[in-house]
Amino acid sequence: MTSTSSQALKLQGTGRAGSLGKGVLIVLAAGLILFVGLGLQSTFWLNLAAYTCGFALFALSVNIMLGGVGEVPLGQSMFFGIGAYAPAVMINNFGLPFEFGVLVGMVIAAAAATLIGGVTLRLTGAYFAIVSWGMSGVAMVTVHNIEFTGGALGLFGFSRLAVGPFDLSHPRTYFFVTSIILLLVLILLAHIRSSRFGHALESIRQSRHLAQSLGVNVFRERLKAFVLSAPIAALAGSLCLPFTQIVTPESMSVLRSVDALLAVLIGGTGLLYGPVIGSIIFTVVPQFLNFDANVKVLVFSLLIILIMMVAPGGLHQLIKAAGAALRCMSESRR
Amino acid sequence: MDLFVQTIINGLILGAGYALVAVGLTVIFGTLHIVNFAHGAFFALGAYAVLMLQNLGLNYLVAVPFAVLAVATVGYLVEITIVRRALYDRGEYGSIIITFALAQAIVAATILIMGPDPLPVRSPFGQTAISLFGFFLSAQRVFIAATSVVVLAAFAWWLKYTVRGQQILAVSQNPKGALYSGINVPLIRSLSFVLGVAAAGLAGMLLAPLISAFPTMGDANVIVAFTVVILGGLGSISGAMLGALVIGLSNAFFETYVSVSWTSALGWVLVILVLLFWPQGLMGRTQINRH
Repeated sequence: MTSTSSQALKLQGTGRAGSLGKGVLIVLAAGLILFVGLGLQSTFWLNLAAYTCGFALFALSVNIMLGGVGEVPLGQSMFFGIGAYAPAVMINNFGLPFEFGVLVGMVIAAAAATLIGGVTLRLTGAYFAIVSWGMSGVAMVTVHNIEFTGGALGLFGFSRLAVGPFDLSHPRTYFFVTSIILLLVLILLAHIRSSRFGHALESIRQSRHLAQSLGVNVFRERLKAFVLSAPIAALAGSLCLPFTQIVTPESMSVLRSVDALLAVLIGGTGLLYGPVIGSIIFTVVPQFLNFDANVKVLVFSLLIILIMMVAPGGLHQLIKAAGAALRCMSESRR
Repeated sequence: MDLFVQTIINGLILGAGYALVAVGLTVIFGTLHIVNFAHGAFFALGAYAVLMLQNLGLNYLVAVPFAVLAVATVGYLVEITIVRRALYDRGEYGSIIITFALAQAIVAATILIMGPDPLPVRSPFGQTAISLFGFFLSAQRVFIAATSVVVLAAFAWWLKYTVRGQQILAVSQNPKGALYSGINVPLIRSLSFVLGVAAAGLAGMLLAPLISAFPTMGDANVIVAFTVVILGGLGSISGAMLGALVIGLSNAFFETYVSVSWTSALGWVLVILVLLFWPQGLMGRTQINRH
């Protein structure tokens, strides 16, 4: 609890110096994007980097609920799936362009979140997690059973995945498009965080009843956060499509949400860019380890448990704790 | 009319099986205040335990009690290493993620050790069907229902008439009060967790001859168990039993008269409706998880 309250204090303290810091961060991020995009030569790594950005978007969406609202959104994969299915259906069944499908997916996701959230966000804790899981279960059964989503086989063989003049089948273009979208979403989220809405959300997460007693409309703010998170998840689903080249009912599976939860937990729920760092670790590290898929699940699940037991706020907590311990030691030596 | 009665019978038998998983889940929730998302993994562990004992040459009926002991042992180890240290009195946020991750880890470990494919479990009842007043019943399903009813009745009796059972009820009603009355609360919590997962394991063993043992076999069942438990009210044992019958009957009727492929969505729809209009469940005590 102490770490969260000090965070809130820091938030209040950011004035002009904070916006300057933000500018520097944005320039740094843009530099990183250019460096990675121009520096990487192999198509495999460029594609993976692009996918990582798409996955990071999904992790950010999950963290709006986990770190922002304080609920475990096991069903967030449903919005990811909507985002993956919408362009796939638009391209394969109606011959419409990819961008249009992406927009349709985001609109459907936002509308679905408004409806679902209106019903489920009055619930909290395990009740919300279970119902959210259930919603994704219902969505999975639905795409399994209706015809135009391709049933169990899913949809594949898309004619053209492009955003305007940018052809996403070129790995470098794909990376630049996804990474710039990721950066824009991060800037948007940073703005929201320091807005009135962001503060209201933080107050709800820390103490729902206190926030309510101070006149915050708890249900409405939670619903706003949920409706904000859904189109971001859908966008992530769309942007992962050029990498996966196929969309199946599995894309709505709760396991997707668990992957994103892990990425969020590794990076830290309290940091805005924590989920991005977590996603990079989550997608890149296994490439070097040459793990069997099940070994990967086993290792990462045990890692989640370990993180939750020793550093529930994210791995950076450990680094902070180690730093504090070092400082203590050096001071006592003096 | 025959179809109608047959559907009712199927539903009751189905419900008796669900009740075992659901009661385990609700006992754990009642005393530990965590929703055990790893419940399905213990369900699968039960099936694999009986399978391994069978491979050693034991008869199915002899293997079942030993397998229950094996699952209980694993449950106890998990309780003292993870659940006890990480979960108690820490809000639901952490417990949801930890138990979910635990489930993933157990399933992945099972795949690595036993392989991903379904493995048949033999039972003396085999695939035989009994005919009763002109209605057909699978012998294994009757065995499941009978075992489940006997075990649950014994459990209910134990809760009501023994000191330990009363202590479990006391802890689930008021952990602090129980502690002040001299009840060993950590011990009772361990006991509840072990009993709960052992019940899940037993259900897995009973169902394995019908659906074979496979690593993710617990998923579908634990989802049904969630719907049952929420329908009955989290933490309420009689609610879980009633909920199991309601879900069993409604699933059977939906399968017979509407559609098989949409049945798995039905439970969730029921849960959402119940949470909307009856948030404390059919027999739940208070509504604490709404605002």
